[in-house]
Amino acid sequence: MQQFIAQTLNGLTLAGIIFLVSSGFTLVFGVMRVTNLSHGAVYLLGGYIGYSVITATHNFLAGLAAAALGMGLFGLLLERTLITWLKGNEMSELLATLGLIYVIDDISLAIWGGSPLTINLPGVLGGSSTLPISGIVYPNDRIFILAVSIVIALGLYYLLRRTRIGAIIRAGVDDREMVSALGINVRRVFSLVFTLGALLAGFAGVLGGTVLGVYTGGDSDILLFALAVVIIGGLGSFEGAIVGSLIIGLIETYGTAYFPAVAYSILFIPVIVILLVKPEGLLGKVNR
Amino acid sequence: MTAGGQAPAGRAPAVEAQLAGPGLPAGRGARLALTALRGSRRFGGPVAAVAVGIALVLLLQGNGFTSTLILDMLVYAIAAMSLDFLGGYAGLISLGQAGFLGVGAYGVAIAEVHFFSPWAAVGIGLGAALVLGLALGIVAVRVRGVSFVIITLAMGQVLWGLAFQWVGLSEGDNGIPLTILPSIGPFDLNDPLTLRMTVLAVFAVVALLLVTFVHSPFGLSLRGVRSNETRLAALGYRTGLHLYLAWVIAVFFTGVAGVLYIFVNQLISPATMAFSQDGLLVIMVVLGGLRSIWGPALGAVVIVLFQQELSIYLERWQTVMGLTLIAVVLFSPGGLWGLVRAAGRRRDALITRLEARPGKRDGP
Repeated sequence: MQQFIAQTLNGLTLAGIIFLVSSGFTLVFGVMRVTNLSHGAVYLLGGYIGYSVITATHNFLAGLAAAALGMGLFGLLLERTLITWLKGNEMSELLATLGLIYVIDDISLAIWGGSPLTINLPGVLGGSSTLPISGIVYPNDRIFILAVSIVIALGLYYLLRRTRIGAIIRAGVDDREMVSALGINVRRVFSLVFTLGALLAGFAGVLGGTVLGVYTGGDSDILLFALAVVIIGGLGSFEGAIVGSLIIGLIETYGTAYFPAVAYSILFIPVIVILLVKPEGLLGKVNR
Repeated sequence: MTAGGQAPAGRAPAVEAQLAGPGLPAGRGARLALTALRGSRRFGGPVAAVAVGIALVLLLQGNGFTSTLILDMLVYAIAAMSLDFLGGYAGLISLGQAGFLGVGAYGVAIAEVHFFSPWAAVGIGLGAALVLGLALGIVAVRVRGVSFVIITLAMGQVLWGLAFQWVGLSEGDNGIPLTILPSIGPFDLNDPLTLRMTVLAVFAVVALLLVTFVHSPFGLSLRGVRSNETRLAALGYRTGLHLYLAWVIAVFFTGVAGVLYIFVNQLISPATMAFSQDGLLVIMVVLGGLRSIWGPALGAVVIVLFQQELSIYLERWQTVMGLTLIAVVLFSPGGLWGLVRAAGRRRDALITRLEARPGKRDGP
């Protein structure tokens, strides 16, 4: 029972990291119809940058900020150049960002090498504490990640549901042409959403680096989690990303603990089921 | 050529002399050029195909590195051409194709581990690819476009995950070696030369089959589905069934490539099915040229060269490859084959212009 509770907490932590990555992915798709396959590579690059900055400054927050802002800037640059040049051709965008994966991964390999790196949280966050009632000893960094993900999810929810910008973004998901017909600068909204998505991915890269490690191939792992999430939750749906992340995070963790031979594969059972029963996803609105 | 082509037909003799080239009588030079161009239009394709075929047969006689390289190219060319049939013609780009290649290869390897005869193992490998194609197709062709890419990626990863984690079946990360290849009478695939010629023959058969499919009414209706599925459905076509068939064909032929892959490499491991390999196959198709069966074969040649040759001189060859893909997507969506086609179109235009010129004797 204790092990089950610990695994559930592990699953929730993983869900938190997956949510940070998939929410950006799904918003970018929802508003811009851009399938950014390099989203996972951005996550990994964020992790690497965070690692280097933390090693140099011995300051975790500085690393977190550097990764998030650096990747946000990268996202802005990417949106202003490559994505703009491709003029909304969905398949070209997908293929170009596929090419970008190889470039980012290769450059990361050149700079940081192929050995896995781990980011350590400072002070009390690096330790463990005994949870009340159950008496489980659980690492603090995971609790920290879970808390941060929940705060960010609430922040994003507020942004999307309670602010003007959020209303524009949601309107963009529903009907892009109408938004631009209302005189709103859609170009600026695109840049904002893309930057926000990359920023979240870079941020998640540092958080993920603490418990999952920063390693070659980590980008495709997290990308696949994110893709599974958006299929389950529905492409473009923020709430769907939350639900999907919880499902994927928990299944992946329980699977690894209890069915190691097929852990990775059972992850995609819900994906297949959703496709057969409700192809637009649990909370999806976007027509495909 | 271009400068002369822009001159209106039938102007001053001086212009015509310029067109025909220096030192040649105007009329005769143009006639010669016209004959040559017409000849190339009519026989260029078949002659090139025969020349490439003969060159391949000759190159594959040796036991050296060149033969290994060419076999690798042929195996990946089969997979890339199948992917193009699905992606280019039916409009469904699959990002899980390396997984199906792995199914063909693992099918053979696992069957042999369990003491099936080599021929039975080949049957099991091909059967596994076919059955999987039939089953997964039901799910896959329910969606289009970007969703299809994501779904196939998920399928490829499930297969990779099984190969990587189900150690009891797949031997995990180490992979499974294959020691005995099938043989019957004097036809023995354990003989390197026989194996090489067989791979070449299978490549030729698959390529010709795919070209036939593409030009058949079935291929035409696939293109129709790609450009406007709603309209085709309204015309009474069962578009879902068409796409399903295209999917099964592509998956099965990729399984064929997988069987050849393990024959050539005598080892299959999860690395062959990794996400980067899925991407590599798509890069071969896009670089070579979507919607041209031969283009992806050319793409396979280039990418295998990148992997095997460029990587010797340039450590960062993956960066070059990624940037190449981006450049192709941005500047030359038709890929390498698009350049070949453009050259063909320029030639045809030149023929038309030459034919339109007055004063030649062999015209109407």
